[in-house]
Amino acid sequence: MFRKTLGSLSLLLVIVLLGQVVACAPAKPAEPIKIGLQAPITGEYAYEGEGFVKVVDLVTDQINDAGGILGGRKIEIVKCDDVGKPDESSKCAQQLVSQGVKAVAGSYSSTCTEPASEIYNEAGILQITPSSTATRLSQKGFPRFFRVCFLDDRQALFAANFMKDKLAAKKIGIIHDNSTYAQGLAEHAKRYAEDAGVEVVIFDAINPEDTDFKPILTKIDGLGPDAVYFTGYHPQGGLLLKQSKELGAGFEWVMGNACNNPEMIEIAGLDAAKGCYITTEPLPKDIPGDVAKKFYDDFVAKYGESPDSIWWVMSGDALKVIVEAMEKSNSTDSEKMAEYLHTQFKDYPGVTGNIIGFDEKGDRLGTVHEAYIITDAGEFEMVK
Amino acid sequence: MGQLLQQLINGLTIGSFYALIALGYTMVYGVLKLINFAHGDLFMLGAYLGLVTLMGAVVNIGLSANLLILLLILLVVMAMVAGIGVVLERVAYRPLYRAGRLPPVISALGASIFIQNGVMLLYGARYRTYPEAFKAVVPDVVWTIGGARVTLIQLLMLAIALLLMTGLYFFVQYTRVGTAMRAVSLDHDTARLMGVDVYQIIRVVFLIGPGLGAAGGIMVGLYYGRIYFTLGWSYGLKAFTAAILGGIGNIPGAMVGGLLLGIIETLATGYISDAWKNAIAFFILVLILIVRPTGLLGERVAEKL
Repeated sequence: MFRKTLGSLSLLLVIVLLGQVVACAPAKPAEPIKIGLQAPITGEYAYEGEGFVKVVDLVTDQINDAGGILGGRKIEIVKCDDVGKPDESSKCAQQLVSQGVKAVAGSYSSTCTEPASEIYNEAGILQITPSSTATRLSQKGFPRFFRVCFLDDRQALFAANFMKDKLAAKKIGIIHDNSTYAQGLAEHAKRYAEDAGVEVVIFDAINPEDTDFKPILTKIDGLGPDAVYFTGYHPQGGLLLKQSKELGAGFEWVMGNACNNPEMIEIAGLDAAKGCYITTEPLPKDIPGDVAKKFYDDFVAKYGESPDSIWWVMSGDALKVIVEAMEKSNSTDSEKMAEYLHTQFKDYPGVTGNIIGFDEKGDRLGTVHEAYIITDAGEFEMVK
Repeated sequence: MGQLLQQLINGLTIGSFYALIALGYTMVYGVLKLINFAHGDLFMLGAYLGLVTLMGAVVNIGLSANLLILLLILLVVMAMVAGIGVVLERVAYRPLYRAGRLPPVISALGASIFIQNGVMLLYGARYRTYPEAFKAVVPDVVWTIGGARVTLIQLLMLAIALLLMTGLYFFVQYTRVGTAMRAVSLDHDTARLMGVDVYQIIRVVFLIGPGLGAAGGIMVGLYYGRIYFTLGWSYGLKAFTAAILGGIGNIPGAMVGGLLLGIIETLATGYISDAWKNAIAFFILVLILIVRPTGLLGERVAEKL
C-alpha cells in the first residue's frame, strides 16, 4: 500500500516536473495574454455591461492590430457576466482566477466589485475597476486594487457646493437606494452639506425593486426642501422624475453620476426630465484631449452609435492602464504591474482624459466632476 | 391633512395593482391548494405582450392611439396570456396533481424561472418603456381635492381594477360555472360525483387568473411607463402577501388584502421611513396572522382527517 502511494506520488512528481519543463520551453510567441473583464452583461445594469463589452472589444482590437504587447503577444479578453449581483460576482471572480487571467478590469457597481476584490486580492491578481466609486473599496489595503474613476466623496463635495452656491438651496433632501455606492455617496453628501451650513430635512432610502415612489415623494414635498439629491441609479431616477412631476412637487432634482444616462429621459419622459441636474464626470463627448477625441470617433465609426455613458469609456481606460502596466513593467506579474502603477505611472493620456496617477490606495488622483442639466431638447448640457 | 389624503390616494393606487394580481394567486389556491408562483411572471408577460402589441398596432400598422384601440389590445393580450395560462396548467401542473402538494409547487417555481428567462432572452435584459404616445390617450387631467392631487389616469386604473374585481366576484357567486368553481374548491371528489367536470373548472380558473394578471401588467406598464423582466417577482411577492393577508382562497379577501397592504406600505413610508417600509408591512402582516391565522376574511376550515 505504502509502496503504491509512493509510486503514484513519484509519478505525479514526474508529471509536474515535465509540466514545468514544457512551461519553461521557449513560449510560443503567439500565446495570448489573458485579461479578465467582469461586468453586468445582463441584469439590471446590462446597459452599462453591454457598453463595457463594446469598448473593451474595440480597445483590444486596436492593441492587437497594432501588433500586440510584450514583443508581439496578443491579448485575449475573458468575459464573465456577474449580472450586477454580489453572489454572482464572487463566482465570476473565482471563475476568472481559475481560468488564469493576469489582470482584471471590472466590475461595474461597487456592490459587485467589493466581494470580487477580496477574491482577486487573495489570488494576487491586479484589478482595476472602471466605475465602482464607493470610498471604502480602497480602504481595505489591497495592494493590487486600482480604479480609473474618482471617489464618491469628491462628487459629494461637488454636489453639496453646487446645491448651496448655484441653486441657492437652504434645505435639501438626500435619497439613496441602499446599494454600497449610493449609500456612500449620500452619506458623504450629507456630511459636506451640513458642513456648508445647508439643512438636510430628509435622508432616506428607496427600494430599487419598487415602481411606485409617490409615497416618499409626497413626504419629501411636504417637508419643503429646495433641492433633492438622489444618489441611486437611472432606472429609479427616471421614475422619480416622472412621478414627482405627476405630483406637482416643487423642488429641484439633482442626481448623482449613476443617473448620467440618456435612458433616464426615456423612462421619465422629456417633459418630466428637463431641468434635472446631474453631478458627474464629463460625458464622453465633452472629455478634453486628443486621445479621448480620437477614441470617441473610433467608437462611432465601429458601432455607428456614440458612447453615451462615461462608464463605458472608463472600462477602456481600465484595460489600457492594465496593458500599459504590462508593457512598462515588462511582465504579466500582478505584483510588478501594481508596483509600477503605484510608483512610476504618471500623466498617461487616457480615453477619459489625462490620468495623473494613482495614490497609495490605488485611487485615481485629481477630480473632474461637473454639473449637467437636461435641456428642453433632451440633451445633457454642461452647466457653466 | 392634505398629505395624509395624498398618501391614501397613493396607497390605493399601489394597492389596487396588488389586489388585481392577488386574485390570480387566490383563485388557483382556492381550487387547487397550489401556490402558483408563475402567476407574477404571467403578469409580467402581460406587460411585455402589451408593449409589443401596442407598438405593433400603433407604430407598424399605424393605428392612432385612442382609447378604443387600447381597450381592444387589453382584451387581446388578456386572451393571449389566458391561453398561455391554460397551456401552463396542462403542461406543468396537471401531470403532477396525483403526486402530492409539493411537486406542483416546485413545478410552479420552474415555470416562473422559465417565463422570466424566456422574456429576458426574447425582449432583452434592459428596462423597456411604454412610449409616451400611449399615455396621451388619457387626457392629462388633474383634480386637487383638499391639497391632494388625483389624476384621471389614476382614477381610470382604480376603476378598471375595481370593475374587474367585482365582475369576478359576481361571476363566482352567481353563475353556474362560478358555483361549480366553489364546489371544486370545497372538495374535488365530491364535486366530481355531483357531475362537475373538475378539469374543465380548473381550466377556467387558469383562463381567468392569468387574464386578470395580464390586465394588471398592461396597466402597470401604461401607468408607470417602465417595465422589466423581474417585475413579476417584486409584484408577485407583494400580491401573494396581499392574498394571505386577506385570507388565501377568498376573492373579496384578495381585494381587501391588496388595498390594505398598499395603504400600510404607503403610510409606513410617509410617516416612518421608506427604507423600513417592507419590514413594517410584514411585521403588521405577522401580527394579523397571529390573531387571525386564516387571514382577514379567510374562513376557518375544519381539519380534514
